[in-house]
Amino acid sequence: MRRILLLLAFVLLQISTWMALTLGQIAGPPANPDSVVRNILYVHVPSSMCALLCFVVLMVCSIGYLCTNRPTWDLVAAATAEVGTVFATVLNLTGMVFSHAEWGTWWTPSPRLITSAILWFLYIVYLILRANITQSQHRKARICAIFGIIAFLDVPMVYASARFIPDVHRANFSFTSAWQTTAFMLNMAAMVLLAILLTWLKTDILKNKAMLEKESTY
Amino acid sequence: MNYFCQSLWAIFVKDIVTELRSKQVLPTMIVLGMLIVYVMRIVCEAPSTSTIVIGPAVLWIAFLFSGLLAQERSMAAEEQENCIAGLLLAPIDPGTIYIAKLFVNVIMLCVFEAVVVPMAFVAFQLSVADRWIQFIIVLLLGNIGISSIGTLFSAMVQLTRGRGALLSILVLVILMPMMIPATFALLALFSAIPIKVEGYGALAFVGSFNSAVGYMTAFDAVFFVAGWLLFGFVIKD
Repeated sequence: MRRILLLLAFVLLQISTWMALTLGQIAGPPANPDSVVRNILYVHVPSSMCALLCFVVLMVCSIGYLCTNRPTWDLVAAATAEVGTVFATVLNLTGMVFSHAEWGTWWTPSPRLITSAILWFLYIVYLILRANITQSQHRKARICAIFGIIAFLDVPMVYASARFIPDVHRANFSFTSAWQTTAFMLNMAAMVLLAILLTWLKTDILKNKAMLEKESTY
Repeated sequence: MNYFCQSLWAIFVKDIVTELRSKQVLPTMIVLGMLIVYVMRIVCEAPSTSTIVIGPAVLWIAFLFSGLLAQERSMAAEEQENCIAGLLLAPIDPGTIYIAKLFVNVIMLCVFEAVVVPMAFVAFQLSVADRWIQFIIVLLLGNIGISSIGTLFSAMVQLTRGRGALLSILVLVILMPMMIPATFALLALFSAIPIKVEGYGALAFVGSFNSAVGYMTAFDAVFFVAGWLLFGFVIKD
């Protein structure tokens, strides 16, 4: 099942990338219309959606753990944090490339760029916190769950700033052809599928690791 | 309600008396704050106009780092002699312990600021004209925000590797969004920027002095309620 889904995600990514670079290519900036740099949007926007989605899952799992004390919630939360970090890194890096091409600067303290950086920092700090707690598994899970919930309280700002506050960053982008919309939607589906699969895989790895640690203590 | 107030007062007095007797935290906080202000002033050898812009940033850095010292000590003292076990055995709601510790940390920061702020005013040639009340409100809101997150996280990082370093990154990353309106508010009070900023960028994101105060109040409320509700999960074992 997982292999089929992985194959599907790979095929979807291939098709959408091909479509984005041929039929649905977005024209470059006015100074250089032949540039393909704006096509980075096909990766940038789905990454931001996946990074936010991972944070929502992280928060839900954190609440789930505090309510039920079941280790599975904690393992899924840990897996989502790692996957979220990957997407948040891609989001910030692609954003920097786009920013350099569009506005001539790698980074500027605009609300959306600040909040995206905060999102990345939150993920990294969550992972550092996990690595530094040497107490029992239960206490580790509980402390990480609390940080996950508090960190999520910062996230609505990221979303609100991207929609409602005036910024050099665009709030939304309108496509000019149906091919562009199709390529974007396919890429979005592929990235979300990839995020789910990576979380699933990482959860299994963490589950096996926890089992091995438990056995080695006996 | 009466019992809540009594328990709150008991823990509050205990922590204040402990600090007054040991004098462990407050002198260290004040010296650290003074050092931050003076080191920043020495490295900022710039014309006097830009000191008004740097001043608010230096003030918040001093408050954040000195606040971290107080918060780290407030829970470490409980853990060292295993006093936390006594507190937990007492028939007190964990939320009450949190609020009492928060009050102590806010008071400590206020005392610290009473010494360090006048010093920063002299060093950076700052002036708030007749807006003292607004200035005190902004500082108080900042203190509540810093302390509500710091108190919760200091309990969280006890018995972890690299306790102090971990606490600083946890608190700073969560308080980062709050520092944007906080800096805006001080910049506006020191007349470094207009009361209303329009256009693009981080300052326009806050908009005006009133909305900066509004944002800070919202952050304080969210962090306080979250800390109060989650503190029980942190300390019970």
